[in-house]
Amino acid sequence: MVLLICVGTPLLGAFLLPALGHWSEKARRWGSLLMVLTALVCAAIATVDLLHGQADAVRLQLPLGLSMGLRMDALAAFMALTACTVSAVIVVYSFGYMKTYTHLNEYYLMITFFIGAMLGLVMSTSLLQMYIFWEFSSFCCWRLIGFYRDDLSVKRADKAFMVTVLGALAMLVGFTGIYGATGTFDLDALQGSQIPGWSTGLILVGILSKSATFPLHNWLPDAGVAPSPVTSLLHAAVLVKIGVFAYARLFVLTFSIDPVITVIVPVIAAVSALVSAGCAMMATDIKRVVAYSTISQLAFILLGLSSGSRIGFAGGLLYILAHSMAKAGLFLCCGIVEHNLHTKDMTKMGGLARTMPKTAVAFAFCALSVMGIPPFSGYFAKYLVISGEVDAGHPVIAAVFILGAVMTIMYLVRLFAKVFLGPCRNPESREGNGQMVGSVLTLAVLSLLLGLLIFLPSGLITLAMEAM
Amino acid sequence: MTILSICAHGFIYGPILVVLIYNLFNHEFARKHFFWFAGTGAVWQILAAIGGFTALNQNGQTSYAFGAFWDIRLAGAAFFELNATRFLLLLIVGLVALISVLVAHQTVDFNRSSYTNLLMILVLGMNGMLLVTDLFSLYVFLEVTGLCCFIMIAMFRSRADLEGSFKYLILSELSGIFILTAIAFLMMKTGSLRYADLAGLGQRISAGSGQLEDLLVYAALILLISGFAIKTGVVPFHSWLPDAYQSADTAVSILLSGAVNKVAGVYGLMIVMQLFGDVAPVGPSLAAVGIISIIIGALLAVRQPQYKRVVAYSSVSQMGYILLALSTGTTLGLVAALAHILSHTAFKSTLFTNAAALQEQTGTLELKDLGGLENQMPVTAFTSIIAFLSTAGIPPTAGFWSKILIILALWQAGSPVLAGVALVAGILSSAYLIRLQRTVFFGQTRPELAKVREVRGSVLTAEVLLTVITLGLGLLYPYILLLLHAGGIL
Repeated sequence: MVLLICVGTPLLGAFLLPALGHWSEKARRWGSLLMVLTALVCAAIATVDLLHGQADAVRLQLPLGLSMGLRMDALAAFMALTACTVSAVIVVYSFGYMKTYTHLNEYYLMITFFIGAMLGLVMSTSLLQMYIFWEFSSFCCWRLIGFYRDDLSVKRADKAFMVTVLGALAMLVGFTGIYGATGTFDLDALQGSQIPGWSTGLILVGILSKSATFPLHNWLPDAGVAPSPVTSLLHAAVLVKIGVFAYARLFVLTFSIDPVITVIVPVIAAVSALVSAGCAMMATDIKRVVAYSTISQLAFILLGLSSGSRIGFAGGLLYILAHSMAKAGLFLCCGIVEHNLHTKDMTKMGGLARTMPKTAVAFAFCALSVMGIPPFSGYFAKYLVISGEVDAGHPVIAAVFILGAVMTIMYLVRLFAKVFLGPCRNPESREGNGQMVGSVLTLAVLSLLLGLLIFLPSGLITLAMEAM
Repeated sequence: MTILSICAHGFIYGPILVVLIYNLFNHEFARKHFFWFAGTGAVWQILAAIGGFTALNQNGQTSYAFGAFWDIRLAGAAFFELNATRFLLLLIVGLVALISVLVAHQTVDFNRSSYTNLLMILVLGMNGMLLVTDLFSLYVFLEVTGLCCFIMIAMFRSRADLEGSFKYLILSELSGIFILTAIAFLMMKTGSLRYADLAGLGQRISAGSGQLEDLLVYAALILLISGFAIKTGVVPFHSWLPDAYQSADTAVSILLSGAVNKVAGVYGLMIVMQLFGDVAPVGPSLAAVGIISIIIGALLAVRQPQYKRVVAYSSVSQMGYILLALSTGTTLGLVAALAHILSHTAFKSTLFTNAAALQEQTGTLELKDLGGLENQMPVTAFTSIIAFLSTAGIPPTAGFWSKILIILALWQAGSPVLAGVALVAGILSSAYLIRLQRTVFFGQTRPELAKVREVRGSVLTAEVLLTVITLGLGLLYPYILLLLHAGGIL
């Protein structure tokens, strides 16, 4: 029941928001926030139940192995809590950021609906259901990237949609391959089963397209034309984690896969990490830098989850949490800068630390977390991921990732220096409004606190590791 | 008289009665009130289909045989028959007729009385095709529907109309000749054209026997499949379809794509599959035509310059999915085909109704003249997005479930490669429809379109009704599957 409320409130409630919006602008905003918070509370209740050893579940039995349902387990709880927390902060941020635009009905509808879809996805008990929610999120992504409705945005939105839908269809072919071999889509029934190699390959295509990993990554930097809260929610914090989540759910926790996958996927991840870090060092558009950095960090997550070692897996999960907070914060800071200066070109910026001190501090905190500097949460995650890969017996790949981590430091320092340090070139710029600055500071503080209180998420992560 | 027999006879007499009564009134009155007459005919058809099916189910029967006014127990008497499949198709005919009337209320201006008369005769023709139990009667009613279609396409008297209609006339007559010849060949072999006598023919013939009669049966099958494939409009028999859809009034395009295609074409192939599915090459040839249609139709749709042409080519592609499902010859395949027929009716009619709305409000369907209309026409934009999702097979719409069923049916029948290709070809559907969205609705409004208003009245009703069906079916499909399971079908 808690799970139904958790998923249903944002998923169905979203459709009330346009009606609320007709009535009052405020009702729509707070309605949206309230739905996300309801989901967060429900997810927290279900997590507490889970930690007390009682896993909530809802099931609908259907013929032909099409059964569906919702189920809370450690991985789902971890993802749900992360997604809801970050989303709640981003919704508050958009109160300030989105004020002046048209199509706000659609904006709040899609954002809230997306969060519902995300929760439905992580709690899915069936492959087909995962696919359904997966496509919901692609749809939201399409509408939201095209939010400004100019030709470029719409083209980029179409591109993102086509790439992710193509990936999803490939994945669905993979799923039907599993169905053909076993006669069911149900994840419980599939527990521990062997799946055909080509199914694994096709599902990987879906995962790589959704998590924007090389060679299916280039829709993500282009998606930066969307409003910053969208980029932050979809293309940094939550949506792109769907792919890596699917990897954890399917290839780590459900199927037994060919060991060669634990080499191939890290190699793909390594290439992705280096290529995108290189791009991030060259780009001059601030949102593109952060987007390329997302691609690069996603490769770290994928490495952790796919390494095959328990430490790596734990690191991957922790990385999802740390990266969601920090990268969402970075995008939101970029949003404040862009909103103020009406440009995304870093060559036209400089010395913003003087006019926007709070934003600069928040940016610095989040950047430190992404770089992996202790005591920020990103450090623990990065350490665990790389040491997990060494544990798995692939020190060369681990070394490549250390190089990737060094490049991360380089491009983030470059970004920070160009935008916030040096002589002030934009004296007319001002700090963003309260809701926006408050949100980024919250995320920055969370990045730090999660590092200091690293034991907090460890209960869930241990539980998830035990399920391996 | 039971409810079942009233409903059953209603399929034959209902349309005839409407035509008779309608023509009693003077021309001006008839022109003014055509909506009520045609609408009654359509609603009656829907009610009869639902009521009849419920009655049949309550009696615990699987089929019900009847004659129009003669005793079916007489030796050699032809008779009509109803079963669940036919009820569903009759319901679809009624639904499409209703939508067409709703749209015609706003788009058809002159020729209203001819429209009403032809619509009712068309419905009668399609009902006849669905009810009969022998191939010759099927042919007769096929010609009735074909005839009504030429006139309805041509009725609105522009040059382009005549071209589309002429193409349809030629190809449709060709298909008539094919089917009639095939019937003659089959008659030579079996001496009877009843479905009951033709079933199991596969065991009685062999290609290697060298007998002329056996070879002629194979020739008959080729002709039958080609004939019905022309009517369906699948590649390589599709060339008439975009022209006919484009040139006809939108109310007529809805009829063509929503009902005529399926009854005159797909249902014919369904009969062929049912009777001759055990002859080895029938299933694979349907599958081949289906997969080629899916891909070629979608590729052609991507570059069309006009709204209705895109939608027309999309029909070609979607018909391919239905044939693919039929080609399996299994129960699941049949269920999947029927499910996709139903979803296709809903989403394709939505797209055509949107075309009617655009034509009425902006006066053009050329894609280069449209853009960013979602602000001006929010309901049309929303319904078109739902139809787009359903066409592309994206959840939670009806099209998603029917496509999944098709894939599962193909897999069950042992053709995983076809299933994979059909699924991935879904990206092509997304491609042409996302282009349609970009050029028509999504984006910035063109200044010359800033004054456009949302369509009102019956067209709006039709859009909303169809979207409710698409979404409602999509959400209720798990329940429908449970019902089918409980009924022992799946």
